[in-house]
Amino acid sequence: MKKGLVLFLAVLMIAVSFMSCSNKEAKAGAPQKLTVWCWDPNFNGYSMGKAVEVYQASHPDVEIEIVDVPDNIEGKIEAGLQAGGAGLPDISLFQDYIIEKFVQNYPGAFVDLKAEGIDHSQFAQYKVAPMTDGDKIYGIPFDTGSTGLFLRTDIISAAGLNPDDYQKSMTWSEVIALGEKVKAATGMPLIAYDNTSFDFLRIMVQSTGTQFFDNSGNVMYDTPAVKKSLAYIKEMDDKGILFMAEGWNNWVAAFNNDQSAGLMNALWIIGTLKSKPENAGKWMVVPTPIVEGVANAQAASNNGGSSWYVLSATKNKDLAVDFLKSTWAGTTPEALGFYNEILKGAGAMGTFLPSRSGSNYTAKDEFFYKSQAVYKDFSAWMEKVPVLYYTPNYTAMRTALGNAMQGMLSGNITTVDGVIDAAAAEYKQTTGN
Amino acid sequence: MLQIHNRYHRYLNRTGWGFIAPALAFYLVFMLYPIGSSLFLVTQKWRGMSREFVGLGNFVRMAHDQVFWKALGHNFLFMAIQIPLMVFLAMVIAVILHQGIKRFRGIFRTIYFLPVVTSLVAYSILFRILLQSNGLLNNFLHSLKLITEPIGWLNDPFWAKVTIILALTWRWTGYNMVFFLVGLQNINKEIYEAAEVDGASQIRQFFTITLPLLTPVILFSLVTSTSGTMQLFDEPNVLTWEGGPANATMTAALYIYRQAFVLNSDFGYASALSYVMVIIAAVLAFIQIKVLKERN
Repeated sequence: MKKGLVLFLAVLMIAVSFMSCSNKEAKAGAPQKLTVWCWDPNFNGYSMGKAVEVYQASHPDVEIEIVDVPDNIEGKIEAGLQAGGAGLPDISLFQDYIIEKFVQNYPGAFVDLKAEGIDHSQFAQYKVAPMTDGDKIYGIPFDTGSTGLFLRTDIISAAGLNPDDYQKSMTWSEVIALGEKVKAATGMPLIAYDNTSFDFLRIMVQSTGTQFFDNSGNVMYDTPAVKKSLAYIKEMDDKGILFMAEGWNNWVAAFNNDQSAGLMNALWIIGTLKSKPENAGKWMVVPTPIVEGVANAQAASNNGGSSWYVLSATKNKDLAVDFLKSTWAGTTPEALGFYNEILKGAGAMGTFLPSRSGSNYTAKDEFFYKSQAVYKDFSAWMEKVPVLYYTPNYTAMRTALGNAMQGMLSGNITTVDGVIDAAAAEYKQTTGN
Repeated sequence: MLQIHNRYHRYLNRTGWGFIAPALAFYLVFMLYPIGSSLFLVTQKWRGMSREFVGLGNFVRMAHDQVFWKALGHNFLFMAIQIPLMVFLAMVIAVILHQGIKRFRGIFRTIYFLPVVTSLVAYSILFRILLQSNGLLNNFLHSLKLITEPIGWLNDPFWAKVTIILALTWRWTGYNMVFFLVGLQNINKEIYEAAEVDGASQIRQFFTITLPLLTPVILFSLVTSTSGTMQLFDEPNVLTWEGGPANATMTAALYIYRQAFVLNSDFGYASALSYVMVIIAAVLAFIQIKVLKERN
């Protein structure tokens, strides 16, 4: 034990001395360097890498290091902010639902990019709204989480149905009717559902243009949208239409390995679908089903999506801003070209509106049934995504409701009202609000 | 005057202070300062950079926080079931390796110790694949006709707890086994020879010689495992998705982390919860030290 401590301290001291060395080098006028944090090297890292290539073509002396932070990037940023900015990168990516919490809890932690001359009217407004605080706008929106219902046409055909009859905007009742037919004929659940994730309910509720909060930002679970969505999930589970997956890998296996006939999620899942080339020509995407009976329900929603932020603790603010401005918010042919490239290369669809003129946005995709132009569809659905706020309490809200929903699916909570009561009770206890 | 000088002058020995200065500096910075400042933290309601004095408010809030008390209950549940199971298994395996097996002893020892040095994330992913509803274990049990419906090892609130207990046992049995092996090697062979001459059976030898002489090792195992289980974090965080399903495997340490870094950025409340945990751990340690002293 003692030995371990000594070793640890020794390593620490060596590390510290190395760090101070590298600082000195930087001051001596070496090439400028930026550090960027993001997760998922095949998606976010890949996309940022392409932006770096564009920037370095005109700024060969700038070095930009992309650091892969696979786990809880928000927690690491929070730890750095608590330490007064120590150890933080110049630029970081994080999920859109986090920014309101950070803005409330850490005022001034991020650079106001509107003041730095970024024109946010060029981005999808539903992405800009959460990062706006008064007349300050903190981030550069990255990808959209425009959602759809992915269905396997070959399994629908095997159930004696014509997939073309279902390639349209459906209500959840219609989806359930389809699910019952597929289940009866093939024994296969229609939709793979990840029991550890909040995504499914989030997509349903947001498609009605609401969140889980009242107008002043207090948590409100007892809304028609939440109740109706929970009731549909329960009905589908009771009827065996959902494949109940445990976690991401199990969920991916459920729809890639022929254990279910579909899934509902955002367009960024397309890369995962394509990792199974045998399924080429079998998938189709239809609009997000409509939660009928709820005001303003529509056939579009959003799940996930993140944005780039410049941390105020950076020593290279001007360089970081210039880099983002001339790539992610740039209208040069090179910048627009890289947006077009990451759409094809990683299935990452940006929310920079001028970039949608790229050829890949309208291209037919051989991987999909009858070469559906999926990105054209997702791009059109993105326009309908309503402006929504997440409030600083989104994570606590989501955790409590997610737990109550797991209670419903394991049979411990039998009614929708029971789920709402349990979620409200846990939220109150865990936040003290 | 001179007497006082004599009595206290050893405290003023500069060389002595010089020797302990580095250790003392680290102790002050990394132990005393955090403890002192955490006493300030518990009186605050934090939201990142903004904080507000609430006095004992965090403790009042805690009294209503059933998620925390449930989590603490899980710590004790795991302690009560997993530790006896693991210590018993570790002892049995050690005895078999020490007395029963003549060949490949080193290989077996390595196999049993391997889980301790295995990457937590790697083994969690493997366990998830084995334990998922359509996973290998359920398929195996099904083919033996032991079950008709798949068991929700990760999905069901009861079975998820069983999974955590099994995973902990798998990971730490080999670690404790090593202590028992050392303990067994320290027992004088002549005692067994004498017992054999007296006609004592193998089983009788185990209960009257091996077990009593291993008592210090058993206590050591219990003490280290108790403090380990009190701080249990990894398995519920990685294996069952942050204490899921629906907080069924939430532990106190994991909940404290989530309060500070995931849910609310509330370092004040998290510190208050930590104090409760420290007090409980201290009481447990005190009891164990008492027991150990009585034994000696």
